Amino acid sequence: MAAPAIDLDAADDTPQPSVWSRIGLDRFSGLYLLALFFVFFGFTEDNFLQWNGSIEFVLTEKVIVCMLALAFLVPMTTETFDLSIGHQMALSLVIVNKIALETDLPDMLGAVVAMLACLVVGALNGLIVVGFRVNSFIATLGMSQVVAAVIRRIHDRGQITAALGDDYVNFGKRDVFSFSWPGSGSEISLPYYFFYGLIVAVIVWFVLEHTPVGRHMFATGGNREAARLSGVKTDRLTWGSLVASSAIAGFAGLIYSWKFGTYGSTVGPPLLFPAVAAVFFGASQLRGRPNVWGTIIAVYTLAFGIKGIGLRYPREIDWMQPLFEGLTLIIAVGIASRQGIIKVRKRRVDVEHEPPPRSR
Amino acid sequence: MSKILTVGSLSKIFPGQVALTDFDIEIEAGSTHALVGQNGSGKSTFIKILAGYHAPDPGAAAHIADQPLPLGDGRAAHGAGVRFVHQDLGIVDALSAVENISMGVGYTTNRWGRIRWTDDTARAVDALDDLGFTDIDVTVPVGSLAPSQRTAVAIARALIGWEDGANLLVLDEPTASLPGADVERLFAAIRRLKQRGVAILYVSHHLDEVFEIADEVTILRDGRRVTTVSTDAVDHEGLIELMIGHKLEKREATKRTAAAGEGGLRVRQLTGGTLLGADLDVGPGEIVGVAGITGSGREMIAPLITGQIPSDDGTVTVGQTPIPNYAPRAAIQAGMAFVPIDRATLGVLPLESVRTNITLADLRRHWRGGRLRHGDERAEAAELIETLSVKTPSTETAVAVLSGGNQQKVLFARSLRLTPQVLVLDDPTTGVDVGAKEEILQLIEQAAATGAAVLVASTDTDEIVRIAHRVVVMVDGRINDEVSGADMTAENIERAQLQTTKAGV
Repeated sequence: MAAPAIDLDAADDTPQPSVWSRIGLDRFSGLYLLALFFVFFGFTEDNFLQWNGSIEFVLTEKVIVCMLALAFLVPMTTETFDLSIGHQMALSLVIVNKIALETDLPDMLGAVVAMLACLVVGALNGLIVVGFRVNSFIATLGMSQVVAAVIRRIHDRGQITAALGDDYVNFGKRDVFSFSWPGSGSEISLPYYFFYGLIVAVIVWFVLEHTPVGRHMFATGGNREAARLSGVKTDRLTWGSLVASSAIAGFAGLIYSWKFGTYGSTVGPPLLFPAVAAVFFGASQLRGRPNVWGTIIAVYTLAFGIKGIGLRYPREIDWMQPLFEGLTLIIAVGIASRQGIIKVRKRRVDVEHEPPPRSR
Repeated sequence: MSKILTVGSLSKIFPGQVALTDFDIEIEAGSTHALVGQNGSGKSTFIKILAGYHAPDPGAAAHIADQPLPLGDGRAAHGAGVRFVHQDLGIVDALSAVENISMGVGYTTNRWGRIRWTDDTARAVDALDDLGFTDIDVTVPVGSLAPSQRTAVAIARALIGWEDGANLLVLDEPTASLPGADVERLFAAIRRLKQRGVAILYVSHHLDEVFEIADEVTILRDGRRVTTVSTDAVDHEGLIELMIGHKLEKREATKRTAAAGEGGLRVRQLTGGTLLGADLDVGPGEIVGVAGITGSGREMIAPLITGQIPSDDGTVTVGQTPIPNYAPRAAIQAGMAFVPIDRATLGVLPLESVRTNITLADLRRHWRGGRLRHGDERAEAAELIETLSVKTPSTETAVAVLSGGNQQKVLFARSLRLTPQVLVLDDPTTGVDVGAKEEILQLIEQAAATGAAVLVASTDTDEIVRIAHRVVVMVDGRINDEVSGADMTAENIERAQLQTTKAGV
């Protein structure tokens, strides 16, 4: 039954938009929260508003989480989960490092091999989910362990450091611009990989919101069978979304290689939670469904919050970080779903009892 | 006679809208009382207040069998012996009939808390037998049962354990998806209950049923009770006039013969499920009705033609283009459009906007210069909303909040926008109120008038007679009969539907 079973008790609320929603606290709660962090921690912590102290650090480091979140978001639009993205990122990272460490091949070729490997994983995910009709949650959870095994076969434990050449690292790490902030010692700069990430985000946003493909993906997620009966290639889109997810996750690994230039066996999988959280938190923002900018706002809201807390309670941040991330996710999504329900209730009552046919 | 239920001075004001104004109703003990009214007339609000979903505004009074009944209290209504079967049935598709019934009335357990499956199964079988539904496999998921059987499961669940203190059974649109013969089975069950002295409140869009089963009928319009009359004292036309407040502009049914021409729909030896091989041609501009009881193959014909489900054998051709099996996309590209029977699960994207629902099947026309032109798309959606008079606050409203009739119009907009050569419809007016139904039927006629070959499979015989140029009647998986011209009457069709079924008994 697609019609949501909703009781109409809340219809007794006033029909005017509440102050809450008029100032956008529902759809822009992330931005409000972000502003709150900036004001509060900006006043209390000396380092918070320093470009070189926190802002640059958060902006650049979280590009990786943003990429993983987008990798989760893309199949999410077709109601498909990809839980193997963290491991795929690690796969890409270990391949690029290993090729640099043990062969004479150019590092950039290693990056291409890494991306291809992730695409293969994505195609396999698609085959299992679409071809064999295995629930995507299970299929990609299983695949994440297969990828984990492959990673260990490639490089058994331990770090790989300093294997990558300067040319390769600088491809992503050199600054796009760099200038001194007048009157202070701050050096304002952003590296290339930040903009590579931005380009990926713009592409994903454009495809999802401004092309028939994106519309068909959301239709597939909204009601798969209805979409299929309207001529949407639901299977192909599901498959394609998993491959795209893998490509973005692989690219997250490359960004990591540019930023840090190393491989570590604990990199990747732990970022799955923040990525998934950002997508769900982000779905409560702006358009009220999974969307690119809401997701990115969510990543940075959480990141700056954690940065501020870390500055204020440097010895406690270790346990406060997961607590903060978990609670923010639950509260943000809780508020959003509550308001969604009220909205549907109100509209339903409006339509049932007062039918003025108005098209906007 | 004594009154089993009396309600007086019942008002309900939702913010900005009055749903019920000083409504009153009296139901005689042991009688069947129908409640009719267009969508938005307040009848669902009344049922919901009775069931305890809504609290009424202060001042209302209700009595059941002379005992005061607090309105807006579901538990009190249940305790007073009032039972409901709602339109959406409230059954879980993934569970069996036994589980659905036990879920409603409580599992029987032994002292260790283990479910006594044998007892529960026997109870479910007995309850369904009482309704005359002996053909239900109570162990398979109800999702795989026919709509009529699912309805029976819901009613059986409402009736179990209710014999003592039974006062009032409220049936809200119980026949929305039932074919003629099954409706008769349901009515037989209702009559049995009536003999036991149980009063029934029967909510329906099907006025014929009202005349067949009800003793009295209460008409609601704009939240007020227009009148309560004995069903002997009013006729079909009169009842419609009372419901809509003026004479229905009944269009003279156009019985012209279809323009012969190339193209159209061609079906050969189509086989699958209960359908054992159907040959059918529908010419451009022609409307062909398909009648038949559930299980006759009628329910399979539209899904098989449109590729919603895979067929075992046979060919479907649109114009000159053969349609591959189980390929709705290919069918659409060849010029076929269709509205599936179950709009909730097969039709709408509930949380997406009216606009995206309408334009889903063809976005290319708004795809220019490398991006979707949202402004154009909104304009087109607004135009279609206007043309089809869809009642929606805006193009951006989520479809889920619209009424059933308006959701159906959105699906028609999606299909008609493709200007199809072939239009395949399956029970196009299920759960749609009188006004919207007439509008939908006119849309179908317009589509045919502009050259579409239209196939309408329906459980509503009157509807088919009203719009079709000819009607094929399915019996036992095959097309058994065809009627047209003066022979095309509801009586003839219903008799033809039952032919071999009757002979076999």
